Amino acid sequence: MTVPGTVIGAKWPRGDGHVKAAGSARYTADMMIDGALSGVVLRSPHAFARIRRVDIATARALPGVHAIAFSGNVPAKPLDFSIKDQHLFPPDYVRYLGEPVAAVAAETEAQARDATAAIIVEYEPLAPVLTIEQALAQDAALVHPDWQSYERRESSVLEGNVCGRNRIRRGDVDEGLVRAAHVVTSEFTFSAGLPGYIEPRCAVAHAGKDGTLTVWCGSQSPHGNRDDLAAFFDLDPSKVRFINQYVGGAFGGKILMAPEMYAAALALQCDRPVRVAWSRHEDCMHAFPRAGGSAVFTSGADADGRLLAMRASFVFDTGAYIGYGSGSALIATMLASAPYRIPALDLDGTLVYTNKHIAGPVRAPGAPQANFAKELHLDELALAAGVDPLDFRLINAWQDGDLSPTGQRLSSVSVREALEKAAAAIGWGRPLPALRGRGIAAGWWFSACGTSQARVRVNADGRVRVISGNPEMGTGAAAQGLPIIAADALGIDPANIEFALADTGDEAPDDGAHGSISTFSAGQAVAAAAADARDQLLAQAESMLEARREDLELRDGRVVNAEVPSVGASFAELALAAGGSIEGRGASSGLADPEIDESLVQGHGFAAWPAASFLATAAEVEVDPEMGGVHVVHLATAQDVGFAFNPAGVIGQIEGGAVQAMGWALTEELKYEDGALLNPDLKHYLLPTALDAPRITAIIVERPSEEGPRGMKGAGEPPVTTPAAAIGNAIRAACGAVPHTTPMTPERIWRALNPNLRA
Amino acid sequence: MQPVHCVVNGEAHDLLVQPLETLLETLRTRLQMPGTKEGCGTGYCGACTVLLDGSAVNSCLLLTVDTDRRAITTIEGLSRDGVLDAVQAAFVANSGLQCGFCTPGMILSACALLAQSSDPSEGAIREAIAGNVCRCTGYQSIVASVRDAAQRLRAASDVRDVPRPRPPIRSRA
Ligand code: FES
Ligand code: FES
Repeated sequence: MTVPGTVIGAKWPRGDGHVKAAGSARYTADMMIDGALSGVVLRSPHAFARIRRVDIATARALPGVHAIAFSGNVPAKPLDFSIKDQHLFPPDYVRYLGEPVAAVAAETEAQARDATAAIIVEYEPLAPVLTIEQALAQDAALVHPDWQSYERRESSVLEGNVCGRNRIRRGDVDEGLVRAAHVVTSEFTFSAGLPGYIEPRCAVAHAGKDGTLTVWCGSQSPHGNRDDLAAFFDLDPSKVRFINQYVGGAFGGKILMAPEMYAAALALQCDRPVRVAWSRHEDCMHAFPRAGGSAVFTSGADADGRLLAMRASFVFDTGAYIGYGSGSALIATMLASAPYRIPALDLDGTLVYTNKHIAGPVRAPGAPQANFAKELHLDELALAAGVDPLDFRLINAWQDGDLSPTGQRLSSVSVREALEKAAAAIGWGRPLPALRGRGIAAGWWFSACGTSQARVRVNADGRVRVISGNPEMGTGAAAQGLPIIAADALGIDPANIEFALADTGDEAPDDGAHGSISTFSAGQAVAAAAADARDQLLAQAESMLEARREDLELRDGRVVNAEVPSVGASFAELALAAGGSIEGRGASSGLADPEIDESLVQGHGFAAWPAASFLATAAEVEVDPEMGGVHVVHLATAQDVGFAFNPAGVIGQIEGGAVQAMGWALTEELKYEDGALLNPDLKHYLLPTALDAPRITAIIVERPSEEGPRGMKGAGEPPVTTPAAAIGNAIRAACGAVPHTTPMTPERIWRALNPNLRA
Repeated sequence: MQPVHCVVNGEAHDLLVQPLETLLETLRTRLQMPGTKEGCGTGYCGACTVLLDGSAVNSCLLLTVDTDRRAITTIEGLSRDGVLDAVQAAFVANSGLQCGFCTPGMILSACALLAQSSDPSEGAIREAIAGNVCRCTGYQSIVASVRDAAQRLRAASDVRDVPRPRPPIRSRA
């Protein structure tokens, strides 16, 4: 029997499991749209060049060509990011190799490719800025020679090649370091990495004669993207509709629009639908990767291993344009000292432009990087102090009532519980064979709540439909989490609930799937809508059954008399009696930022973390010192989600996050030479396979937050933030050395083990 | 154009195809069966896996002209009348899929393995799906799905007391 309140917290199969296993789930590239033209983008062959001239005349006259979009015929305004540094097609300079300069729509892909080749672009190549060092050099060339004229949001920072700078300062670090019995300095470099979704991006756009524009795509934020696209092309947003298809993974890599914009630019110039589908190569060439960067840490602890002071400095390479790249440096300083008590802090983060890909908000931007540096560094300090790494963390871990780096009073702190559970899961402290080692790392994260509206409709056939604009990226947050929440309120099996893919035409706006936000905001909206539907069902039943409300209850899709359950009415009957359907409406209620101490922060727009969550990962690895190879044997992550609405979904996030993080730790790296990406394919960019992936233990910790619905905390991003650090520490434990550079390739491990030998 | 006679999911097709057309293109565009996915087009992700005479192959690397007189099974050929087969059902029950993009290929690789081995070890399962990249799940739930599928198939064959044949090639007639 299913009654309200018995669904949430149990494990249920996904609402989209059947269609996905059957192969009938449709992704954007699967759509067969009659008469669709093929859209192809022309990309810059230079990392940095002045554009002298673009001439489309010859190309436009080629057979089959219907439209060519370029800087001369699309809106001249810059794209609307915090710094207005980017155009759809740059009018003056190309700033990375692969930057789009024009797009062609033609009858066939071959014709479109021929036409792109016939577009004349005269470039004047310039010496590119390719590294952080080059970007920060005294006499550095400027990626944006005209930066001083850019419009930008007041909160942004822009000074030549520096496009972000923040600092968190508390106490007297110098004094703390002088007092310390042990002081260690460590330096790190991080690789840039792909989000690695398996579905390359695709979008189809069609401009109707009535001034409408329809975009079929796999957006992480259909409503936000719709509004941005409409604003750019000067369209009425109510006439622009984004219809999401199934999405083959996103991980933050599909938040910024790409094929959507080019398909729309072309569709607005012709009367046919235009399909822009990236090949894998093109998807890599147009990726928004996790930012590479570097860090320097100096910290001190007293003789017992208690942390006294930390100085940490990060620089991230955000590539050619700001996009949504500013998060990395902000998040890095928030993580640099956490979740540990350190009285004196001086943490800064800088973001620089280079002539490379635009870094994007890949799942927990900045966090695997920051935790990797911080946790390896702290292990070095623990080693110097002669304290076991787990004990070292337990001694210093935050507890209830402690202050965050920015002075936020912390509650429902579960750092110790997470550390102890993760460590226990891999048998911390038990003897290991030679060349095996264990490592541990901890972290924290925030919850976020956007605006979201939802409807829960009970139809006359008794089916229940959840309508939310929250897009299903693959996590199950929309396809599994939202039906569970609605089913719980209505007392039915979630399998009886239909969910809808996001469609801005449904008028259920939602902020999108990013920042671990989905269950928090869309979940609240659906819970409210389902409660509203339940109230309407009960009200209808009151009159139909001539019963008093307090005598009625919901059970297995019926409203029944609690005393005499045989007396009742089905949802179908009630919906029919109500005129054909019953529709409940709900909205998310938001989440207030906690108070922080503003005097501690400079240039930091992300210093208050509501409904904070905590986690730890423990790793066991085996190292081959001859070849430098690492085999990850076991990863255990204990993650505090406050309250697990959908435990199967949380476990999926922890397991998938562990292997993603392992990939970034050991193999994944975008390699450049003279600004050209050397590995834009899955042959040379190595995603982990089933043979690489370790045993994974996912441990759900539930320490309810004060702010979240039923105590929940955001869950999607954290699991990717700690495993790389735990693996690094385990490598050192196994063999006595660890590279301070990701990915920790066999060569780098070998070099760390043999610092005085040449390969 | 070249003539090809092949059997897809039990249904015979006489096709005229381009000499360099891949089986993946033929399936997705010519036959309008988009269940088979393209993740890379170069043999490195496995999203395009289908069965060729029962063996798992990357359809992006196979020319359609080379499938003449051979039997192909795609994800669309596994379920019957909307009912998932044992392997598909096991993936749903064990959270063996998230975004679902690797899933068709993953399931077909699992089918090829289970046709050879009724109780594969974890190592054998990982080996069999090593060419199918999944970015979402971390593989553990996929391994569990394949184990459960093996169990379901064994239970079914115990009941019927017949050995499990090759992955099904069904007729549409
Ligand atoms: S699409 Fe065939 S292996 Fe990737
Ligand atoms: S489920 Fe998304 S790639 Fe496997």
